[in-house]
Amino acid sequence: MLRRVVTVILVLACAGGVIAYQATRRGKAPANPRVFVPSPTFFLDFSPSFRTSIADAYYLYMIQYYGEHVSGDGRLDSLPAMTRLVTTLSPHFTRAYLFSAFGLIDAGRPDVAYEILQKGFKANPGEWRFPAYLAFFIYTFGEKGPVKNELAADWYQKAAAIPGSPSYLPRLAARLLVKTGEREKAILMWGQAYLAGDKYARKKSVNGIRSVLPEGREASLKVLAPLSDTMPEADFKALLADLFPEGKL
Amino acid sequence: MPDPKETRIVLDLADVHKTVHVGFRRRPLEILRGVDLSVEESEVFGLLGPNGAGKTTTIKVALGLMRATSGSVELGVDGLGKVGYLPENPYFYDYLSGREFLGFCARLFELAPEILSQRIDELLRDVGLQGAASTHLRKYSKGMLQRIGIAQALVNDPELLLLDEPMTGLDPIGRVEVKRIIERLHERGKTVLFNSHILSDVHELCSHIAIICEGRVVWRGEVAEALDEARTLEDFFVRVVTA
Amino acid sequence: MRQLAAIAANTFKETIRDRVLAVIVVFALVMIAGGLWLGAISLGEQGRMMKDFGLVAVTGFGLIVAVFIAASLVHKEVDKRTVFVLFSKPVSRAAFITGKFLGLCGTMAVVLAGMGLFLFALVWLLQGSPSFMVLAAVLMIYVQLLAIIAVTIFFSTLGSAILASVLGICVFVAGQLSHNVLALTRLGSNTVTEALSWVIYVLIPNLTAVDVKAGVVGEQTLAWGQISLWVVYLLAYVVVVLALATVIFRRKEF
Repeated sequence: MLRRVVTVILVLACAGGVIAYQATRRGKAPANPRVFVPSPTFFLDFSPSFRTSIADAYYLYMIQYYGEHVSGDGRLDSLPAMTRLVTTLSPHFTRAYLFSAFGLIDAGRPDVAYEILQKGFKANPGEWRFPAYLAFFIYTFGEKGPVKNELAADWYQKAAAIPGSPSYLPRLAARLLVKTGEREKAILMWGQAYLAGDKYARKKSVNGIRSVLPEGREASLKVLAPLSDTMPEADFKALLADLFPEGKL
Repeated sequence: MPDPKETRIVLDLADVHKTVHVGFRRRPLEILRGVDLSVEESEVFGLLGPNGAGKTTTIKVALGLMRATSGSVELGVDGLGKVGYLPENPYFYDYLSGREFLGFCARLFELAPEILSQRIDELLRDVGLQGAASTHLRKYSKGMLQRIGIAQALVNDPELLLLDEPMTGLDPIGRVEVKRIIERLHERGKTVLFNSHILSDVHELCSHIAIICEGRVVWRGEVAEALDEARTLEDFFVRVVTA
Repeated sequence: MRQLAAIAANTFKETIRDRVLAVIVVFALVMIAGGLWLGAISLGEQGRMMKDFGLVAVTGFGLIVAVFIAASLVHKEVDKRTVFVLFSKPVSRAAFITGKFLGLCGTMAVVLAGMGLFLFALVWLLQGSPSFMVLAAVLMIYVQLLAIIAVTIFFSTLGSAILASVLGICVFVAGQLSHNVLALTRLGSNTVTEALSWVIYVLIPNLTAVDVKAGVVGEQTLAWGQISLWVVYLLAYVVVVLALATVIFRRKEF
């Protein structure tokens, strides 16, 4: 009887110790931010049946790795390798590219972020987010100067041209085109925004066009003429009516 | 009972040798060294011998479970479709019930579906397992397994029945029931050949015996002949085997 | 044919009633459901994670069930001497091997259907819409496992059950690398290597040709016409392997 009691107490004490240790021990990030990431070539030679599963596993690992280090030591040394691995094994995994891009900016590697987004766009030409994010990153993190505006505008235009893209993208492209001095292209973008947008977007587009029009109705109409080729006649007339309500110009 | 003048040989082994290869080096081991054995229709035939003499091997060669290295084996019945066999220490399928197992055996003989169910009920009754028909075989006792083994050997109403140690594991009541089954089969003109170490059963049931020793039949004849030469069948057996 | 059906039905009953199988299947369902947890840490890719890891779990557990049961099918009969009961009756070795195979196919169909429908339901729950591609993927996994079952039964006629299990798993892995072996046949540097590679390429079943897991998550455009032909190839492969197993089993004595 005594032996049984002692055994039960011992087992309970061990169980209590195990639970208490696990409950009070803090999980911390591995000390080394550099972890081994296999080359994509190794897995590409491996079975095509399991590539996406391996990509998914590394994607989850990448998220955990990012979370552990971004608020810890701030070092994300292995993030580029993980990103390349996941996107090589699963080229249509859009979220992996997009998450990685932001993570790579945090890691101080905008060059790899651009590389990844361009790789993603090449593999997924119908996904507007790749060129849109590229434009955003170039504009936000690129070196100040006319080149970044030009590049960003170029990517916004590409994004705006993809069916299903949001209606605000042409307006963003237009603003940047104005900064680079390409007024005609800017007007075309605003025209696209006018067509696709709601009442608010139309108002914004009209204000945008009006801000770059020259003085005088005739001169303005001359500048607006190319727009008539890109819009249905009824919409063009509506735009003109919004631009030149009675009493203005 | 068939006319004695017209008895035929239902099992005939002539100078059967069987060599197996054992061990890593595949050393030849001769188990049967010229077995001559013939069993006539409607005999109850006892196959006796010490352990390792070749009794089970003889039966396996007769059934084609093993191929004779030389010699001839002839079944005088219409192929294995008319043979029933009970192996020694039978083991069957864990997750089948008694009824399902007999149904499976019956289908292997391609018995007509309309008589299948009736036949199974009869067999279960004959071996006293009606109450355990729906129980899985893994829950059967050794004696019950022996009985279901006998039932499966009878499912095709065989003309020749080969039983390897049929009394093993049976309590006295079970042994009496099996003996009665053998007697009934004999009355119906069936041929039964069985191995047994229980010589009192052999004495009671068999008309003929053969004694195998070291892969050869050393004596064959009627039980009455054997008892002319010794007081009991055990004495006769020991004398022949040790000679 | 009736004998074949009887042996197949018997094998199905024996295997499907095995408690170990039930435990494995329950464990598999728990692992599939574990995809829900993985989805929770995937930043919005729950559907993809569930499909991908769910199908890997179905493949893995399906393989375990297929290989370990197939390896023991013949051996169990010999070890437990139920072969004496079978072959003392007018049953051909071909009917035995084929019946065993068909019985296990039935069991695998039930097991994979259970896992597949469970995964299908979970994906529907997560995504809000049914994904019939998941069921198609499970069907293709089933076809792959048919080939592995046949190969494992073949190995079990040659050696022990453990060896047959190990070799069955090896063939599954090799079947995933079939395209690499094909690449070796086109090296052009050494005739002997090329010839040997061709032999190995023909002997190993090409399992990736019928795998559609990548297509389920949108990473592969599926050519169903081609895949159908590969399915027919695998079924023909099964027939050849079972025939070889029968030839070897005919020579066995008990």
